[in-house]
Amino acid sequence: MNWLLIATRNILRDGTRVISTLLIIAVGLTALLMGNGFMLSTYDSLQEIAMRTEGHIIITDERTTALPGGAHQQLTLSGWQAIQESLWEDERVLRVLPRAHFEGIISKGTQSAVFFGSGVDPQEEFRVHGPFLLTSGTLNPWLTAEELPDVMLGRVLARTLGATTGDLLTLQTRRNNGEQSEITVRLAGVFHNGTPRTDNHTLMVNLSTATTLLGTDHISQLSVYLNQSDESGALKNALQTRLDGITVQTWQQRAELYHKVKALYDRIFGVMGIIILVVVFLAISNTIALTIYQRREEIATLSALGTPPARIYANFTLEGCLIGIAATALGMLLAYATANLINASALMMPAPPGKTEGYPIFIYISWPHYLLTSVMFIFIIAFASLTATYTTARSNIASALS
Amino acid sequence: MTARLSLDAICKHYGKDDNSVTALAEITFSLNAGEFLAIEGPSGSGKSTLLNICGLIDAPDSGCYYFNGKPLNQLSARERCAYRRREIGFIFQRHQLIPAMTVYENIAYPLLLNGERPQQIRHEVEQLLTQMGLEQRRQQLPQQLSGGERQRVGIARALIKRPQLVIADEPSASLDHQHAHTGLQLMRELNRQYGASFLIASHDPFVINHCDRKISLLDGRIEATA
Repeated sequence: MNWLLIATRNILRDGTRVISTLLIIAVGLTALLMGNGFMLSTYDSLQEIAMRTEGHIIITDERTTALPGGAHQQLTLSGWQAIQESLWEDERVLRVLPRAHFEGIISKGTQSAVFFGSGVDPQEEFRVHGPFLLTSGTLNPWLTAEELPDVMLGRVLARTLGATTGDLLTLQTRRNNGEQSEITVRLAGVFHNGTPRTDNHTLMVNLSTATTLLGTDHISQLSVYLNQSDESGALKNALQTRLDGITVQTWQQRAELYHKVKALYDRIFGVMGIIILVVVFLAISNTIALTIYQRREEIATLSALGTPPARIYANFTLEGCLIGIAATALGMLLAYATANLINASALMMPAPPGKTEGYPIFIYISWPHYLLTSVMFIFIIAFASLTATYTTARSNIASALS
Repeated sequence: MTARLSLDAICKHYGKDDNSVTALAEITFSLNAGEFLAIEGPSGSGKSTLLNICGLIDAPDSGCYYFNGKPLNQLSARERCAYRRREIGFIFQRHQLIPAMTVYENIAYPLLLNGERPQQIRHEVEQLLTQMGLEQRRQQLPQQLSGGERQRVGIARALIKRPQLVIADEPSASLDHQHAHTGLQLMRELNRQYGASFLIASHDPFVINHCDRKISLLDGRIEATA
């Protein structure tokens, strides 16, 4: 006897019941896949922000943190040009960006504010930040370092100073030897990335502007960007061996915010996932149990005819598996369509912790996750079918037949 | 004559303590091999309960019963299932055909459970389909059959494994007179052919008059035998 054929006939003979069961399972699966897709997309975005901000590998010199003159600047990496050149020869490396961090006071007329500045290679810098650094104004992307150097300000810092593009501003800082240093710059544009610290206090100038201002060719760090993120560990180890005494770290070691936010999201998504899974499990179990209970007369007939209980369990579990396969296929299709619809609609999420701006909702479509979740659902349905059949088959045959 | 089935002081109660209802009280009788025995009585007299106990789908609260001299009281659930599979055929009042199985599959099912070879199953089923006039219906599902056809499939399913005991609960209840007559004739014919004992619960005089013997039940007790 072809049990698969009989199971299929059983599924098809009650269309309304089966359709409602399929929909319950499919909607449950869709909810879980959407949540999962959103979680993956969020983690990926956080990771991307962390990598784009600092680079895949960060090279610093932490041997001389206590500098003479009580200076606050962290310009400790010397001979960085040789390191940069050697890295360019490595085919795994996409970009090597020098950064000189410094701080001081910026003024426009009588308005002053504290700033955290970076001397950068502007063209490359804006390229690696990509969509994570939004710029506006009549921006000169080269941030020229000529007689009147360009500066770019964080959006809120520019607003605090009342500065607009083309305005002249004064940067004051303290060199490593404790001397005061000052330079006049022209505002080339503003930028923002939704992080208050960046938008409120940061500014960027050309690296040569920074070195002139600071009176040194030392920098704070070299940020290394790779073609493949997963090569970070291997290259970091190779560099660490080669650059004796220099600190080489991967982005994971530096991305404190990423780890904190991920830990928070892990808990949020974890709890949400468990709640959805429990609700889905209860809904599926209840629907399957009800469906099987409605067929108790049939189960009693099979028992009365002398069908071994294992055969009855196997038949109903097989039906459960078939319903599971059909329902998860429908659920995957539904999740795929909904994810594409949401991704195309550019809906915005509210600002996450530590940010001032929302971001577009993006739902990842991960086929390995789709398949894994579907297999899990099929197991749940098969298990629900088995337990419901076990319970029903153990009830009194005579009363089920009466 | 050898008693195929014998019952000795069988009692069955439903409910507990003060709410207890006696379904069967001190039922004692024997069913001989090849005998056609009718159980008659009004609704609620205990006919179905008695049939359920004789068919091993329910158990008595007290009393002893035997099948071909072997005691049934101590059988485990698995042994009772095996007995039903091998020795007992059921003809249900509402036919109880398996909805997803075709006529052929419904009839073949008991042989399949007993592990018969496919060739043997095919031969037996085809023979019975012809005998029952169902050969044109072999691929139909139960929902596509008339009441009479379903009853014939039910009879064929009960008899195909040639059981020693056939339990029939109101076999004519859902049939018109003509179909009831045909069904009864079939049972009689197969009774003669295979020597099965029949225990038939009915309150249809037509059915009762066709039986060798009858037992009248009233309020769970044997009121008369004839």
